[in-house]
Amino acid sequence: MSDPAVTGKIIKALADYLRRNPESIEPDQHLRDDLGLDSMAVIELLYKIEEAFDIQIPDEDLVRLSTVGAVCQYVTHRLAPAKRPAPRSRAAKTRKKK
Amino acid sequence: MPGQVVVTGLGIISPIGIGVSEFWKAALEGHSGVSTITGFDPFPMDGYRSKVAGQVQGFSPERYLDSAQAERVDRYAQFALVAAKEALADSGLHMAREDPRRVGVIVGAGMGGMVMGEREITQLYQHQRPHRVHPNFIPVITLNSASGIVAMAHGAKGPNYTVSTACSSSAHALGQAMQCIKEGRADVVITVGADASITPLVFAGFCSLRALSTKYNDQPERASRPFDRLRDGFVMGEGAGALVLESAVHAKKRRARIYAEIAGYAATSEAYHMVIPREDGEEIATTMRLAMADAGLTPANIDYINAHATSTTIGDAVETKALRQVFRTRADKLAINATKSLVGHTLGAAGAIGGIATVLAIHTGQIHPTANYEEPDPACALQGLSSSVQERKVKAALLNAFGFGSNNAAVVIKRYAA
Repeated sequence: MSDPAVTGKIIKALADYLRRNPESIEPDQHLRDDLGLDSMAVIELLYKIEEAFDIQIPDEDLVRLSTVGAVCQYVTHRLAPAKRPAPRSRAAKTRKKK
Repeated sequence: MPGQVVVTGLGIISPIGIGVSEFWKAALEGHSGVSTITGFDPFPMDGYRSKVAGQVQGFSPERYLDSAQAERVDRYAQFALVAAKEALADSGLHMAREDPRRVGVIVGAGMGGMVMGEREITQLYQHQRPHRVHPNFIPVITLNSASGIVAMAHGAKGPNYTVSTACSSSAHALGQAMQCIKEGRADVVITVGADASITPLVFAGFCSLRALSTKYNDQPERASRPFDRLRDGFVMGEGAGALVLESAVHAKKRRARIYAEIAGYAATSEAYHMVIPREDGEEIATTMRLAMADAGLTPANIDYINAHATSTTIGDAVETKALRQVFRTRADKLAINATKSLVGHTLGAAGAIGGIATVLAIHTGQIHPTANYEEPDPACALQGLSSSVQERKVKAALLNAFGFGSNNAAVVIKRYAA
């Protein structure tokens, strides 16, 4: 679930970035396939979102953020400390590889 | 053959060694020069996503340069000066016996004098005292400071300029130097690639681009792993490479040792995107074809590729696609390696450092390992990649280099035959 306030803010940021009407942006839209964002544009958008919500999004979480809804959910979780799925720890990943 | 351009001298400053013999020994051992960033101290590293880089260790400019020279230029230009000095000594060229107007200097640099640049900008914005901006700020950050200072150090009065095309800068410099000599505008061109911008601001910028490896902060030597399945971005490096290029006629007249011939060059633009390559690899393929045509060669003549291969997920896969388009079944018969696996991505120096590795492969018959190539990625599984040294008599090689701003370069380097 995503917080409606978070969703609104993200959709507004996306709409500003894409210069289009916020109402034309839906949660199930794919950032690349539906909204036409290339990988650099996604990075620029996340940069704005990091600032708007005062969070840092590690590189390894990027793969999860492919749709508008996924970004909204991710940010919602990151802002809720109790339920927060900590960004996957690098140490854990490294251990897994051995 | 008239109009041939040959390499007669080499010099290098790299994260795996200062000087060609130290560099090549470490390269053949597949040694990684990537380590935890220390140079920002006391600037904290906590906020950086990536914390590793290919840093040149133990470089004291005063050991190689007189203090007046060293103080007036930034770290990248110091690297350029030292590498050029080694290359000239290696070539046996005596400037006193040359017509200085026939000796040029062409430098490839992507970032330039960022050490002083960042310091002066920070101080001005913090303290707002414009009169305290250092009088050398402009000469140091002007992007041709290295080509200028190298010419001054040796009295080279021929063509003198800087090529700046980001990560491909010094591959273009090599091509431009070859053309300059072929066109008869110089007999000798001291060709250098140099960059040293592992600085708090530039490094933060590359972090924000999400272009750097972040998974191997605890194991820096494993971070630069071109073509490997577990690669996750490039590792920034610094350094300089210098190659003395001259006309074969001139080299033979002075009985110089000839390492190899620079035989062809192509420069293209994808006219596509500032930082993303076209995913079909067609523009890269075209660039390689044009370079071979410029050298009068076909894919069947090429034995070895010194790949651009920065260790990014997309970039290495696209280069592989392009190699398959050009070489088809021969793609698996080529020896291929990635010099960036050893030194990281030295930006403007990368073409020259890769060029030196290519020249030495032709000269010695040894192709350095691609460090950390452990697990093939189906998207870039080329049979000629190896984490060990490959012994191979190389007749002709391609050096690839691609840069931000959608530009590509390819240089053909081959065994010299009169």
